[in-house]
Amino acid sequence: MTRADRLLLLLVICTLPLLYAQLWQQDGTASHIQVLTGNDAPVTAPLAADRTLHVHGPLGDSVIEVSKGRARFLSSPCAGQTCVHSGWLQAAGEVAACLPNRVSLQIVGVRPRFDAINF
Amino acid sequence: MMLARLPVILLLAAFAGACSNGNNSAYHDQFFAFGTLVDVTFYGTDPDLAAQASEAIANDFHTLHQEWHAWQPGQLTATNALLAQLEPFRGDPVVLPVIREANRLARLSGDLFNPTIGKLVTLWGFHDNALPVGTLPDRQAIAALVAQAPSAKDVVIRDDMVSNSNPAVQYDLGAFAKGYAIDRIMERLRSLGIENAIVNAGGDLRAIGRHGNRPWRVGIRHPRQKGILASIEIETDASIFTSGDYERHFEIDGTRYHHIIDPRSGYPADTATSVTVIHGNAATADAAATALFVAGPGHWTGVARSMGVELVMLVDTSGVIHMTPGMQQRIRFEPGISPELRISEPLS
Repeated sequence: MTRADRLLLLLVICTLPLLYAQLWQQDGTASHIQVLTGNDAPVTAPLAADRTLHVHGPLGDSVIEVSKGRARFLSSPCAGQTCVHSGWLQAAGEVAACLPNRVSLQIVGVRPRFDAINF
Repeated sequence: MMLARLPVILLLAAFAGACSNGNNSAYHDQFFAFGTLVDVTFYGTDPDLAAQASEAIANDFHTLHQEWHAWQPGQLTATNALLAQLEPFRGDPVVLPVIREANRLARLSGDLFNPTIGKLVTLWGFHDNALPVGTLPDRQAIAALVAQAPSAKDVVIRDDMVSNSNPAVQYDLGAFAKGYAIDRIMERLRSLGIENAIVNAGGDLRAIGRHGNRPWRVGIRHPRQKGILASIEIETDASIFTSGDYERHFEIDGTRYHHIIDPRSGYPADTATSVTVIHGNAATADAAATALFVAGPGHWTGVARSMGVELVMLVDTSGVIHMTPGMQQRIRFEPGISPELRISEPLS
């Protein structure tokens, strides 16, 4: 094996994880949450790390819980509580929003199956 | 030697292919506007142009929302105040084209899409950002408004002069404005040179062009359980609008009261759980989804035909899915979902 062969082999080994992510990972695998508040830039956080996020909106704090690869609105200061009733989100593309408090929570992932969800 | 390296070369070629995959050219943005969460995706657009276009349409949505809002002061509420006086007046140029188109669709729907029942919607408490809790509207007040039968036919528009003969008329464009706005937004995007886009405003959307080398893929949410009911692919241009009883609603003593009011009874329409319409024009899709929801499983085909809508899926309260043959060809149910289907005659 020449030096060039060894370099090529090293390059291939290094790129295998990327290839796996791009080509073999299942479509729609959820990896992160994306939280949008008002018209601020969205914030992302990994789904793998359990945590509780306090997100400040015009009505007060919306509390988002991330646990066991899922995320939900734990509480929100709105009257309707539609966001809280949305329950756990875990599939890439799923979204819940507290419109009165202008906070949205979306699951994002590798190559989501859908470009948009109609409802 | 060369042959020994072939797998490596193939692997590198695959890596290069993966890197050039279409996702790299998609621009994605989200913002709150028009009373909902708006999600936009552009494909194959220069990032600077995409950011500029996204900001422009966010501004457009804000402006249109103010102009057409059903209860916050703006051009529509001012028009409603003038209509209530029952004297002819010069229509507001911002509101008049919207009302004209809403009236046209109302006529085609046999008034099942009725944009003039704003007073009924107010009675039900849906003219508020917060949902009503605790009490139902007064039965007699509902009956009195239904007896007055407000209709788009009561409003006559000649040139820019508007007259109204029914004091119960109050415009609420909630079942139509989002679609009309999305049509305007798409015109704006095209004028900016954007040819591949999805604009999704709170679950109702229009898509133009493609996502690179594949069509746009849209999932239709299940009306009664978590997850997706069916999916559809769009290329070129189509709007997908769904009206469902799970959207704005409240419950009293275990009964669900939702925002799609049957103008004939004054109460929420109760024979469907969702209606999905696909049409080239978003305003038509929006109004038709409401009209067909009100028509219900027994009468939707006649209304769809009259409104020029050919792609319809209606889920009734038993979970049976009624649809047109065209819709059956277009959608694909999710694995494990095999509902009872009733396919209509072709509508065209």
